[in-house]
Amino acid sequence: MTTAHAEAADGTLPHEPEKATLEGRNKVLAFWLFLGGEAVLFGTLFATFLALRNQTNEGPSAAELFHLPLVAAATFLLLVSSLTSVFAIQAMHRGNVAQLRNWLVVTVLLGLAFLILEIYEFSVYIRHEEFGMTTSAFSSAFYTLVGFHGAHVAFGILWISVLIGQLAHKGLTVVTAPKIYVSAMYWHFIDVVWVFIFTVVYLLGKVG
Amino acid sequence: MTTKQPSSDSAVKHRHRPEGPQRHIVVFVFSVVLTLIAFAAVAAGGVNATFAIILLLVMAVLQVFLQMGFWMHLKDKGHMLPIIFMLGGFFIAGTCIVMALYWVWWD
Repeated sequence: MTTAHAEAADGTLPHEPEKATLEGRNKVLAFWLFLGGEAVLFGTLFATFLALRNQTNEGPSAAELFHLPLVAAATFLLLVSSLTSVFAIQAMHRGNVAQLRNWLVVTVLLGLAFLILEIYEFSVYIRHEEFGMTTSAFSSAFYTLVGFHGAHVAFGILWISVLIGQLAHKGLTVVTAPKIYVSAMYWHFIDVVWVFIFTVVYLLGKVG
Repeated sequence: MTTKQPSSDSAVKHRHRPEGPQRHIVVFVFSVVLTLIAFAAVAAGGVNATFAIILLLVMAVLQVFLQMGFWMHLKDKGHMLPIIFMLGGFFIAGTCIVMALYWVWWD
């Protein structure tokens, strides 16, 4: 494999290009503050869901509705995509732009597969289980919490796709590196939220 | 500011060699195992509900600790502020959850 693009000023980037400039370091720090806020946001949605999870209004209950193999598949897709985004950042730290791009593409594809699976799941619930947004307090809380997470996945897919395009145009520089690093943090956080969703919503739903 | 000067504390070994993928693969394997334990406990059925709830929550918290520590580097040096931000976020989130459960269970 040849060395990276010769886009950077003198051909070499610092080892951690995302932290090489003050702006880059500030972006990473501020993104942690954002993720703290995201934790609060998901916390309120989890609180709502936990309060309303048994209010089924004679509609389907969690135990009747959920299909564990589907949830396990979605979980595995997202977990692997979190690992591939680690690999992307490691490739970035080696200055290997081609590998960085490839791992980002794999991450996006896995995220897309997760999203398709979730859309399929929701469509089955709506068409075959008569479980819509307005069926019950449980259904509203379920779609709001899980759908909000799905929207985060969709946004992450768009975001990382745009960064892949930017990487092709501008190369890996101290300007593009913080953006890629921060998007990887976001992607890990989405997987962390999913760990709580499959535990609290799906598995505890099956337990009762 | 173009290059980062080696910091005074680990100046000798500071010419970081890029870390390998091994430890991240270990975290991945642990995450898979924790996930499998959680799914298996529910799929097997017949597990005492209280025990299952505790087991599931412990598995989830362990996995989140692993991923935030290693994949998001919170265990590394210089992450005091990020840890404070995340703990603050989790504290408020936890308060909301306790509030909601208290409201519903003891009304």
